[in-house]
Amino acid sequence: MRRDQRQRLAAQQAELVAALVRGGEEPAGFDGEQLRVQREMLVGKRRRLVERLRPDLAERLGDRFRGLFDSYAAEHPRPRGSGVRDDAGAFTRWLRHHGHLRRRWFRRG
Amino acid sequence: MRPPRVGIGWRPEIDLSVERLRPDFVEIPAEDVDPRRIPESLRLLRGSGTPVLPHAVSLSLGGAEPLRLDRVRHLAEVAEAVEAPLVSDHVAYTGAGRWDAGHLLPLPRTRDALDVLVENVLVAQEALPVPLALENIAALVEWPGAELGEAEFLARLVERTGCRLILDVANLHGNAHNPGTDPQEFLAALPLERIAYVHVGGGIVRDGVYYDTHAHPVVPEVLELLADLNSRTELPGVLLERDDRFPADAELAAELAAIREALR
Repeated sequence: MRRDQRQRLAAQQAELVAALVRGGEEPAGFDGEQLRVQREMLVGKRRRLVERLRPDLAERLGDRFRGLFDSYAAEHPRPRGSGVRDDAGAFTRWLRHHGHLRRRWFRRG
Repeated sequence: MRPPRVGIGWRPEIDLSVERLRPDFVEIPAEDVDPRRIPESLRLLRGSGTPVLPHAVSLSLGGAEPLRLDRVRHLAEVAEAVEAPLVSDHVAYTGAGRWDAGHLLPLPRTRDALDVLVENVLVAQEALPVPLALENIAALVEWPGAELGEAEFLARLVERTGCRLILDVANLHGNAHNPGTDPQEFLAALPLERIAYVHVGGGIVRDGVYYDTHAHPVVPEVLELLADLNSRTELPGVLLERDDRFPADAELAAELAAIREALR
């Protein structure tokens, strides 16, 4: 195993991931339609996992959930080593920041 | 010849259903299990003699970046906690550079990629207390510049590492439907005697693309592939995977019965 083999593969793999999760340039030789299908599948999986973890959020957003999540996801790929909880937390912050969620504290009286 | 054992993927959402279905073996999602706090349902299954096999998705064994040994150790600890005879992950990578794909991505079928995978698998095997099996994934994208066929890639991996295989027939069906693998050629070139067990899962076709969702019923073509495979070799076991939109017990039981039927 030579170091240059790993480096070459690392660059190829990073290029594909960037194209799939952060709208990076399409790597040469791939089928554009396959990349589109894979990209949508990945964001759909992310969305479903967040929805399962935070059904309350999906309910509050209703029809807007899908579009808002996909906009968030396109701007914020999941960093390495992060999990669904991190994703759901970051999505909630993003929603607040963009004014899509009003804080609803319990009110007294 | 004994019939293959038939198992089901244990998930917390269907723990009681799994116990009621009395599978011959179960698989558990390795990352979700704390080896110091094995769920009661799994302890009961172990107590009744049901083998429990940890199945991982996070080792990224085909990734060019250094192997995450903490994840291998976690898998080893889970294996010990449930006295597993075997553990598994996939022939895939899950992220690169700064980003996580959140899913299993295919490897380029090049000699470089095979060398990296082999090296990672050998390191992982050193740290694992039991044999490692590796599974073929469902690929939605195909890398350009393949130097090896799909089955050839897996056969060389087996030859060089001594690993076992989990053959997912739903993924094979997906790859036949999407990138256009020939399942007959694939099965003919694969070292079938190295199969530890087979995965069967549900999926759906949308806009002409087959998605391996594990959230829908098993499609008839997958059961036909299973029957074909079963006629070629003596299979140790077959396991049904369901990860979402969990149906009632009766529907899971019917899927297990359909698997048994395909194995007759």
